[in-house]
Amino acid sequence: MKDYIRSVLDVVSESPFVPLETHAKKGVLAVEKLAEAMEAYCKGDKAVLEERTEEIDILEHEADKLKQKVRAGIPSSVRLPVNKKDLLSFLKQQDSIADFAQAAAYWMTLRPCETVPEEIKEGFLELMATSLKTARLYRELAGALYKLLATSFSKEEIKDTLRIIPEVESLEHDVDVLETALLKKIFENEEAIGGAGVCHLIGLVERIGGIADKSASAADRLRTMILRR
Amino acid sequence: MDLLVIALILAGLYMAWNIGANDLANAMGTSVGTGALTLKQVIIIAAVFEFLGAVLFGERVTTTIAKGIVPIDMISIVQPNIVVLGMLAAILAAGFWVTLATFYNLPVSTSHSIVGSVLGFGLIAARNGIISFSDIHWEELTRIIASWFISPVLGALLAYFVFSVIRKLFLRRAKDLPLIEKKFISLQLITACYMAFAHGSNDVANAVGPLTAALQVMGILGVEVPVWILVMGGLGMVIGMATWGYKVVETIGSKITELTPTRGFSAEFATASVVLLHSYSSLPISTTHTLVGSVIGVGLAGGIAAVDLRVVWRIISSWIATVPIAALTSALIFVGLEVIFL
Repeated sequence: MKDYIRSVLDVVSESPFVPLETHAKKGVLAVEKLAEAMEAYCKGDKAVLEERTEEIDILEHEADKLKQKVRAGIPSSVRLPVNKKDLLSFLKQQDSIADFAQAAAYWMTLRPCETVPEEIKEGFLELMATSLKTARLYRELAGALYKLLATSFSKEEIKDTLRIIPEVESLEHDVDVLETALLKKIFENEEAIGGAGVCHLIGLVERIGGIADKSASAADRLRTMILRR
Repeated sequence: MDLLVIALILAGLYMAWNIGANDLANAMGTSVGTGALTLKQVIIIAAVFEFLGAVLFGERVTTTIAKGIVPIDMISIVQPNIVVLGMLAAILAAGFWVTLATFYNLPVSTSHSIVGSVLGFGLIAARNGIISFSDIHWEELTRIIASWFISPVLGALLAYFVFSVIRKLFLRRAKDLPLIEKKFISLQLITACYMAFAHGSNDVANAVGPLTAALQVMGILGVEVPVWILVMGGLGMVIGMATWGYKVVETIGSKITELTPTRGFSAEFATASVVLLHSYSSLPISTTHTLVGSVIGVGLAGGIAAVDLRVVWRIISSWIATVPIAALTSALIFVGLEVIFL
């Protein structure tokens, strides 16, 4: 229906921060599904692995759509309380979280892990758990954005929010350490795993580690966005 | 002549209805959008305070519209009938333009339209040699047009200031943010009344200004603006609000959910204050445009997640278009009425 009104109140346009937070949640949910997929993979449960992969695929797609929505919602005429470029670069990092989850899930479906020793499987589960922890903490950070805006960036809220960021970064460092250790173990067992297997597992390590990397760099960009208003 | 009186009153009521249906609804929409008031409450508040504003404080701007732009008395000495027809033409032209603008969702102001159409009548009177072009109160007109630029800017500055104070005093120290927002809901009840009062005091003139001028010339009214005329204008606006404006309020309310009570309060307080100041100064301005200025002010103070400035260009282009179009339409209608009646 056409509204026969002469309203000028579209001066208040839709906040990009709402879809931004939903976007963060979708990305982290994809990582949670990935952790389940990883468990299924180690157990050799192909059905669950494929099911989760499909779910992650959908989540990644939904996150992409939200990303487009945020981008479309800030044409040049729209003024935000933060720098638009900072917001977009932060969004890009946040979007990569779901991308890495998707890539890791897909990577697992390519090759079963029958020849992989238990020790390495455990290493993967630990790496996955720590990556998930990083992503979850990141989600908490993204959720705090809303409160920052509601108080119009109160100093207290900024302090509270910024406190989470070093924690995310420290978890990311833990993931780095786990990655290195796991890679070392993979090469130690190269006889058992085989050349192609080693290659596949290295790829998996990179993709799971990527989730923590992207969580940390999104957190870092978020800090820039908050401080450089 | 009785036919003309009826026509004038009907045209004035139509204009009042139009103002109530759209402008008043725009002014009140923010209160619904923030969740401070329900639709029903807003309509009741708007009815009561719009009416009070019109009756108690509407006289000054009404006098400006009636006599401030075109020297009505000078024309009526020569030919009183011309004034009556001219004022009828002015209301019809403004009403027509506003209706058209509403149809196309253009942010046109009723105040600007009526000023333009009254000016149109003055210009045709000058062209016909009844008065000279220099008799038109250009100085007053300049003051009015300047106020159209100044009022949104003032709204923005005041809203920026009010919101900055609220932010400093309450938001930045907030332990319990929802509680603060909740407290501002009751304050918004007051600003909603304030807003309706201010709107009534300024905008009733758009409906009854030309009507007053015509009736004065016909000898039906004295020099003063009688209360019944303001009552009539107020009633017309309230009816407009109740019969159509509620839909507009609903639409606006659902669209601006981004505005929280602290933000809504700041914008409304600033708008109402600026509008009332202009009513005091006898200047007809656009409440809606001032409200836009105020919302932008709150936005620039960091209160709103996203402010779309596109609307500013739409407003400016509507300013540029409204006065010439309303003036021309008014002049054309006048010529037509002249052929019929004189």
